[in-house]
Amino acid sequence: MRGLVPFLASRLLRAAVALWLVSTVVFVVMRLSGDPVPLLLPPDAPQSEFARVRAELGLDRPLPVQYAVFLGHVMRGDFGQSIHFRQSAFRVVLGYLPATFELGLAAFALALLVALPIGVVSAVKRNSVVDQATMGLALVGQSAPTFFIGILLILVVSLNLGLLPTSGRDGWHSLVLPALTLGAFAMASIARLTRSAVLEVLRADYIRTARAKGVTEALVVVKHTLKNAAVPIVTITGLQFGTLLGGAVVTETVFAWPGIGRLAIQSIYNRDYPIVQCTVFVSAVLFIVINFCIDLIYGLLDPRVRSS
Amino acid sequence: MAEMTRRDLLKIAAAGAAAALPGVPPSVQAQTTQKRDLVVAQGGDIANLDPHLSTSSNDIRISFNIFDNLTSRRPDGKLAPALATEWKLQGQQTWVFKLRSGVKFHNNDPFTSADVKFSIDRSLDTNLKGNRVNTVLPTVDRVETPDPGTAVVHTKKPDPLLPARLGFYGGQMIPKKYVESVGPEVFNQKPIGTGPVRFVSWVKDDKLVLEANPDYWGGRVDFDRLTVRAIPDMAPRVAALLKGEVDLITQVPPDQGERVKGNAGTVVTGALYGGLYVLAVNSKRPPLDNPLVKQALSLAIDREAIVKELWRGRGIVPNSMIAKGDNHFDASLPPLAFNVNEAKARLKKAGYKGEEIVIETTSGYMAGDKPMAEAVQAMWRDVGVNAKVEVMEYSVRAQKIREKSFKGLWWSDPTSTLRDPDGMMWRLLGPGGPQDYWRHAEFDELGNAARFSVDEKFRADAYKKMTQLFLEHFPWLPVIQPYEDYGMQKYVEWTPDPLQQLEIRRFNFKFRRA
Repeated sequence: MRGLVPFLASRLLRAAVALWLVSTVVFVVMRLSGDPVPLLLPPDAPQSEFARVRAELGLDRPLPVQYAVFLGHVMRGDFGQSIHFRQSAFRVVLGYLPATFELGLAAFALALLVALPIGVVSAVKRNSVVDQATMGLALVGQSAPTFFIGILLILVVSLNLGLLPTSGRDGWHSLVLPALTLGAFAMASIARLTRSAVLEVLRADYIRTARAKGVTEALVVVKHTLKNAAVPIVTITGLQFGTLLGGAVVTETVFAWPGIGRLAIQSIYNRDYPIVQCTVFVSAVLFIVINFCIDLIYGLLDPRVRSS
Repeated sequence: MAEMTRRDLLKIAAAGAAAALPGVPPSVQAQTTQKRDLVVAQGGDIANLDPHLSTSSNDIRISFNIFDNLTSRRPDGKLAPALATEWKLQGQQTWVFKLRSGVKFHNNDPFTSADVKFSIDRSLDTNLKGNRVNTVLPTVDRVETPDPGTAVVHTKKPDPLLPARLGFYGGQMIPKKYVESVGPEVFNQKPIGTGPVRFVSWVKDDKLVLEANPDYWGGRVDFDRLTVRAIPDMAPRVAALLKGEVDLITQVPPDQGERVKGNAGTVVTGALYGGLYVLAVNSKRPPLDNPLVKQALSLAIDREAIVKELWRGRGIVPNSMIAKGDNHFDASLPPLAFNVNEAKARLKKAGYKGEEIVIETTSGYMAGDKPMAEAVQAMWRDVGVNAKVEVMEYSVRAQKIREKSFKGLWWSDPTSTLRDPDGMMWRLLGPGGPQDYWRHAEFDELGNAARFSVDEKFRADAYKKMTQLFLEHFPWLPVIQPYEDYGMQKYVEWTPDPLQQLEIRRFNFKFRRA
């Protein structure tokens, strides 16, 4: 592990640049989108009120000054006061993170638990009824819009069968439907990718050799195939995980799940600059951390990555 | 007028029940419960509980139950005593409020005139960070407290509507001692009031939990615990009601009403909205500066069809700029007319030459906004108006209100917060108001005189004359006064409020017990 320190240093530097770019872009885009003050005040508020609120929020200062103040504060982890909630934006966002993690992890775990066995079985039993049925389902899972899956699950599982709560966040049973909805896309794509990755490995010479040696089929699949098929699976899985954490807007809205996706969308509508900036920043940090972890896992799985 | 509203409500409730259960009187079918928890789901999240920081209906539905006002606007539209047991006008500009004795805040501090003065002063305080209500009590000059049980409010000019103003947002009574000791941030997170429910816990965007105030002066509420959930999507909100996870939901659109009614355990109940849905007009833009054109546009709208087709009958056709149920609503006026030939004739007389007339609409911000805009566009095209619909985002609309930059017409759903023309029509259309696009000397003189007169007879005459001028010039094209529908379990007895309040005090909310 000779190159670990420079490797980490260059990673950190890249991460810092990425975060700076992300926060600058969000800052500019939010300001371009317009003024939050008309949304805050009743329409009959007098002119003086608008001036007062604008000054109160620091929006009366020139943009470069606002930007400098913003950057200075971000360095100290201060994203300012939420315009909407009258509270530290960072604290508001932190309050929403546990729900997002809970849902994201559950969706991810569910997706992996279902998708990996299905993908492997489909590949091994290629063109069987099981293969065709599961891959057909996966196609549906990948192409059906999230809100449709969500509402369908609510109507069928919750309302008609009376099994699980329709929405809200109240114990594990309220987590099942949103996790299934959110995980559907990831589940489908991981299953399909696992199938093709395994198929590809199964055609390789060393598998034929293993079989020729008389290794049992089960061992061929578990020991020789899975490890070699893992690199593309880890890649797509990692990407999907990032999407699960950051892309839960629709699921969170349908299931009234109090996570950061819904917070971000609502804050964009409210033009609550500090919250939007903070959410995007936190999401960017998550993505960067996940990507970093994937890089590390690559290294463990594939010696060729380590040396390059 | 309140009588009419109530009768209409009963009729509609009966019709709904009859449709769901043919041949059986609703009372026989009424189900009962042993529940001690009330769960309410509304369409939006709660942002602030400090009553001075918000005018959003999702917030004040709750804050009106944590806090009391001096006066209380009941669901029947009448103003009733609350923390003030009586009030009277001395001379022209001095209102004396006698306070209810023995009232305590949730932390056991007594409620006195010092809290009244503190609350009103804070409501007006422009230095309070985030204050959103400091324009609600514009006529108040100062508050005096001759003794703990009396509050005297001096106004800058005669203000007939002061007791009404104190009954709505900006008028909630908050505890001086507590607010001063914990500061605004803690107060906003853990509010304390005198109201029928007290704060327990709050997870943002998820749920707010409140419990019964056992010593409430108006009687203990008929439940132990109130949970308020935010379920933004309509379909899951309805599903939560049908499954019985929640007892009451807000904002049930007309096309979902059938599902709620069709379910054995649930009903739809509605209140005629205390306000109007209007197309506001930029009367400065030709050809909308010509009264004949605006008369023609009004005559070309088939409002009956909009009520029947788009709202499934859940609304009425307005007759002026004054909402039914408000002071000075003139029941003798006919609903706004629909007459295609007359519309064409007036367009011709106006010399209309096919200039483009634009309706700018949001999509989904106001119930039925875009479909109604498209319907009106089609109706106008039928009489030869070159009408166009442009869709804008909600925040763009807010910007345009601010800059007064609308191209033609846009939707507005003014709420009659004081149940009086002054608090709606004159607040918006008056000089310097947010919808000031049209001025008329006589209209202005009457509006101002009515605002500062404590003589209701004089005010009635003034609003009559203003109505005539309005119907000639149409600074708004009123389109519908809709019902606001709620879904609830049959074991809930509750009357909705025209101003979108959630009145759960003893006199208005009950679980049917076996």
